[in-house]
Amino acid sequence: MTPAEIRERVSAACPGAVEEFQADLLDPVLRLRPDRLREVCRFLRDDPGLRLHYLRLVTGIDRPAAADSETPGGIDVVYHLWSYELRHGCQLRVRLDRANPVVETVSDLWPDANWYERECFDLLGVTFAGHPGLTRLLMPADWVGHPLRKDYARPERYHGLPTSRATVLAEGRAAEVAPAMHDTKAQPIEGYLRLNMGPHHPATHGVINFLLETDGEILKKATPDVGYLHRGIEKLAEQVGYVGTMPYTDRVDYLGAMFTNHGWALAVEKLLGVEVPRRAEFCRVIASELNRIASHLISTGSLAMDLGAFTPFLHWIRERETINDIMERICGARLTYNYLRFGGVSRDIDPETLDKIKHWIDHFEPMMDEFDRLISSNEIFVRRLAGVAVISPADAIAYGLVGPNLRASGVAWDTRRDEPYSIYPEFAFDVVTGRAVHGTLGDAYDRYDCRLREIKESLKILRQAMAAIPEGEARVKVPRPKPAANEVYARVEGPRGECGFYVVSDGTEKPYRARFRTGSFTAMTIIEHLSPGLMLADLVALIGSLDVIAPEIDR
Amino acid sequence: MTDTPAGRDPTAQAPLCPTGGDSAPLVVTTRIDDLVNWSRENSIWYLLFATACCGIELMQTGGPRTDLDRFGAVFRSSPRQSDLLIVAGTITYKMADRVRLIYAQMAEPRYVMAMGSCANCGGLFQQSYSVVPGVDAIVPVDIYLPGCPPRPEALNEAILRVQDLMKSEHWASRRQGRGNP
Repeated sequence: MTPAEIRERVSAACPGAVEEFQADLLDPVLRLRPDRLREVCRFLRDDPGLRLHYLRLVTGIDRPAAADSETPGGIDVVYHLWSYELRHGCQLRVRLDRANPVVETVSDLWPDANWYERECFDLLGVTFAGHPGLTRLLMPADWVGHPLRKDYARPERYHGLPTSRATVLAEGRAAEVAPAMHDTKAQPIEGYLRLNMGPHHPATHGVINFLLETDGEILKKATPDVGYLHRGIEKLAEQVGYVGTMPYTDRVDYLGAMFTNHGWALAVEKLLGVEVPRRAEFCRVIASELNRIASHLISTGSLAMDLGAFTPFLHWIRERETINDIMERICGARLTYNYLRFGGVSRDIDPETLDKIKHWIDHFEPMMDEFDRLISSNEIFVRRLAGVAVISPADAIAYGLVGPNLRASGVAWDTRRDEPYSIYPEFAFDVVTGRAVHGTLGDAYDRYDCRLREIKESLKILRQAMAAIPEGEARVKVPRPKPAANEVYARVEGPRGECGFYVVSDGTEKPYRARFRTGSFTAMTIIEHLSPGLMLADLVALIGSLDVIAPEIDR
Repeated sequence: MTDTPAGRDPTAQAPLCPTGGDSAPLVVTTRIDDLVNWSRENSIWYLLFATACCGIELMQTGGPRTDLDRFGAVFRSSPRQSDLLIVAGTITYKMADRVRLIYAQMAEPRYVMAMGSCANCGGLFQQSYSVVPGVDAIVPVDIYLPGCPPRPEALNEAILRVQDLMKSEHWASRRQGRGNP
């Protein structure tokens, strides 16, 4: 169903709710009356002809009134919806009063909206009436102001700590440890033990904090507390422009930098209407699939390490070194690639590198079996994962899980196949889904198993791509991007699932608003739901099997 | 055993305590500073404090190719067992208190390495509203390691520089520049 047809249906069911239909945008938008939002959302989710069960993204855009115009300013809250069953989606928007932005919550309709709305409150100051716990998500609780507002000014100091490097140097670097700003101890509660797990903990995969309430070894609840790596990349994107944002996207997901590069390039190329040469597409696919393997190596290896098996991790680190070498040949960097350019890639892949990749694949394929022998059927490893933290398909969709986490629950959805981009339709590969290896579909072992099998699929794609790579240019010259005012949502299938880039342009060289939709953000929201009743040690298995990494959550 | 000198039994084991002359034990003399520093510099236990991208390179450096273990440097997960705090990545204001706490939990003598541009000065994120412009605003830093992220070779070199620092310690004094000489 097209957005126009969805709009017809909404207008028929909820007359007067749609204020405007913006069909001229790249992704058409339904602008709703704020007081009718919940009614329309409920209809969109429950109507048998629409079934928009997946809330992809909620975000806000600050639009202050221009100095010379009569139109009043406001804050837009944007909702992206999608249906896996019917393969259609739409975007909703409400325009709120900038001085007092209030809208009703949808977190009871789609549970992953809980965190999206908290982030929106944190960074833009939008209040969601009826939200179960509207507190700051990313910034410290005592932070003043909402950073993504256009008129936000960075404070000079935060608890006496200078915020500019020049002040640090002028005042002298710390000779002694600085005084504490907050009390970081977990406050005790009656009847349960309250613990901080993190933000510095070897099993949390980066700086993530979990507030645990436990009764002995049994968890009553684990509440994730994030934002310890919130670097404000989206605000920086508004400052440095389209070209300058490319290296920042590397840091959004440093284990899958090629995918964030790709998503950003796709979004801007869509805005500009640029065609990419075929050889460049092949270069992108080859680099991406190598990167996917490298990311899954870290994911599966560190899962084994978290559960106490150190050797598999070292095996995969060794293999990853070779991928790093190849990546260095391809783009000059080991980790933060900055490889893609609008209209191609920064440099062509030479034949010698292709040879090296072939050699490595020949060496690596038998290694997969060795890895399986080493750990995959290890009694302890299996028992730590089988039947633990089971996610049903309905839950996986409702909580917005994507990528291997979604597929492990049995939902066969892969952006490469189902919403094709680049040249992926030309390759034969399987979309791996959970197969209930140890009896339960969607348990932690299935998620591990899916990642290992995806590595094999990536190898298939690599072989095909290297055999079919055509001659030609690897880049077309694109003038400095200055897209006309428009909006776009571009997505790629990253190692942690859908990696989406929502970009709002305004006719200048800088994006008006950029929002990166990442897999780890929504994967974190399900942890609180799954944690009650788990053993304390199972939480480690759950976090590891979801493959969350901190920069993707916090950006 | 082609290289064995004729007339010597190749299976004979060397004595556990090397002897000079007939049976007098060989005496090694050294200064206590040298002995303490020698053992310290060859067992640098660093805290696995990977906050961002640099943490991945830190992992790779601990891996088989660069193999930090050969310098006696192994990672620990607890600050109380660590000699060296490698701040591998960006520090945000929300994280600043935890860095302070971790540093305070380490036993003297303790060393801090700021790994990568973010820990050095805020790096790419210096203009961001939420990033501390350099970890040296919070804790004293001994070694600055540039790069975004630094390569494993560079981290390796930085560990050797930490060893150099350790060589110059005097056992009876607290660390220089830390208030109590």
